[in-house]
Amino acid sequence: MTSLGMGIGIGYMIFVVLGLIIAAVVLYSTKRGRRDNGEGVDVARAERAEPWWAVFIVVLLGVLLALTIWRAPWFQDNGPGQKVQVTGIQFGWAVQPTSVKVNEPVQFNVTSMDVNHAMGLFDPEGRLIMNVQAVPNYTTTRTHTFTEPGTYIIRCFEFCGYQHHKMIYPAFKVTA
Amino acid sequence: MTTAHPPAPPAGALPYDADFALDPPLALLQTRTRRLVLRWIWTSTAFLGIAGVLGLLLRLGQAEFISLDGNLWYAIMTAHGLGAFIAWAGFFLMGITWWVLFKCGFPIRSFILPELTYWTMVIGVLGIVATTLLGGFGGSWVFLYPLAFHSSGQWSDLVTGVFSASVLLAGVSILTYCAGVLHTVISPALKAEKDTLGQRIGLAFGFGLLWPSRFKTKRGVEPYPVLPLAVNALDMFLATLPFALLLVFQIIQSADSGFSINTLLAGNLLWAFGHPVVYLLLFPAAATYYYLIPRYAGRPLVAGRAVAVSWLIALTFNLFVWAHHLYMNYPNGNDIQETLGTIMQPTTYALVLPSAMSLFSLSATIWRSNFQWNVASKFLIAGAVSWLVAGLQGIINATSMFQDTLHNTLWVVGHFHNMAFLNMGLLIFGAMYAFLPELTGRLHFNERLGSWHLWGTLIGAYGWVVCQMWQGLDGAPRRWARLPDTYMGLTRLSLVFLAILVIAQVIFLVNLYTTLRRSPFDDPSVRQGSGVK
Repeated sequence: MTSLGMGIGIGYMIFVVLGLIIAAVVLYSTKRGRRDNGEGVDVARAERAEPWWAVFIVVLLGVLLALTIWRAPWFQDNGPGQKVQVTGIQFGWAVQPTSVKVNEPVQFNVTSMDVNHAMGLFDPEGRLIMNVQAVPNYTTTRTHTFTEPGTYIIRCFEFCGYQHHKMIYPAFKVTA
Repeated sequence: MTTAHPPAPPAGALPYDADFALDPPLALLQTRTRRLVLRWIWTSTAFLGIAGVLGLLLRLGQAEFISLDGNLWYAIMTAHGLGAFIAWAGFFLMGITWWVLFKCGFPIRSFILPELTYWTMVIGVLGIVATTLLGGFGGSWVFLYPLAFHSSGQWSDLVTGVFSASVLLAGVSILTYCAGVLHTVISPALKAEKDTLGQRIGLAFGFGLLWPSRFKTKRGVEPYPVLPLAVNALDMFLATLPFALLLVFQIIQSADSGFSINTLLAGNLLWAFGHPVVYLLLFPAAATYYYLIPRYAGRPLVAGRAVAVSWLIALTFNLFVWAHHLYMNYPNGNDIQETLGTIMQPTTYALVLPSAMSLFSLSATIWRSNFQWNVASKFLIAGAVSWLVAGLQGIINATSMFQDTLHNTLWVVGHFHNMAFLNMGLLIFGAMYAFLPELTGRLHFNERLGSWHLWGTLIGAYGWVVCQMWQGLDGAPRRWARLPDTYMGLTRLSLVFLAILVIAQVIFLVNLYTTLRRSPFDDPSVRQGSGVK
């Protein structure tokens, strides 16, 4: 699992646990002896709190947006580097050249000859490190700098037909 | 048929509670609505059975416990996706809409549209089943253009044409449903003080809460369940049109191979519908929560203006979020997709508000209430908690920078099963436990069997979903008939949980069967069913 994947999982679990604690407190409040005796104080309080809850959610999402939007894949720098042409065609990959050098930027130009495919690039430890759509009649460019030499695998990440799961390029080499 | 209005509620009744002292015209309508809704429930539940078995076959195939050749696996996947999402959950919630509306004092004004909705969906689903399982169409439920015309010899263009026409029929069903809901809601039943069309529209979309001096109703309180239903109906009507256009293009191309459309345009037409369709399930589910939870809590829904604002935000932004499904489509020289992606991350975030405000309202309604616990209310609570759990995943999915790690992985599959099965699905079971006694006149479900059903479903479904999400975080691709070996352990472990899930559904069927075999009850005081006050 990549560090980003691990981070997403851990961050998510923190919020889930917080949510479950709140849910448990709400449900526990319905136990006999803790109930509102009809005076409606809690209801009035909740109605006052409602807009503040909305503000809290908006602020939380605003912060998340500010932290993440500038790292969208289309904002990534695609500067010059070793060029690699990747073409998907049912059900295989044409990759040219088949090896690149470590620690030097690699510019992937990804396209398709027939239907939509996607280049899912896995590192030698089996971690998904990049995901680039291969759209027919279009080319998508992404740049990546490999820091580990070894054999990388490309798996198709967009459903493309009955041999989709066999659309694998097994040996993209990154050399020292 | 003319509209009959419910009589004024007796002292102590909750607002918008129509189910009392029915006058003869309304009683007749109730009988007809009840029959319609029951037919809907049995049909969609049968679709669940079929789609569930197909889903099980998919996981058994991935675990290599059974052998399915590539195209058969993908044809089953296509049938399962459409069957479970549209034919079961979507169809059930479309059907239960009529009952929730009736209970809120909005009887169906014309049965033509609901009947059209029912039959176009049933015929469409049968066409989908035939073209996938018999015709071999295995393009997935999104049939990402131009895949349907590149079958590698696995199905013909004719099959693509019939499949597209079948899905189009299901689309027509959604259109007639939306028209039917709007016709039922924007009606005299709103009891606008000045009964004009403008007043009715304003009240239906929550302006009675936002601007009470301008939009007044003799009901005294805005019927909250109407809000998500009206929003969904207007949005889904608009969102279905581009999808219908794409299907028409596919039908034309299946007859004339020289015809084609731009791939990116096709993707946008697909997802303009493909995301909002989630709300075809979620918003009627929200309406059902809004209706049922206050009944178990014994107090009206605790909600104010913010919840109305959130539904207006949903009404607006629901139609402008589709491009988050196309985050990875940013080919060189096409700035439009990049711009759409940049705009539609915040608009997607905005759609968190109706969920967040709904969960707040439901929690405030339950808080320190004399909450009535039974099998129906337990299912509803479990569903609402899952709404939170799955909703948080939705925020992650809406974040473009995470796509290298998550896009088209099993994380996404786990997410939508979490949302569709463990939020909407549990709500569906809860609604069945709550409404079936009054719909069938048979009291009532065995609570112990109901609890086993609940816990079996929770343990089974969460176990399976967590396995999928973990695999996804670890890079497991979705829509693979045979996953790489590294993922096999969790695939097989998930089958243990799926077995628990299946056993739980068998328990439910036993409970349902024994309940239906009982004699109808006569006592009107228990008409409300499984403990609903």
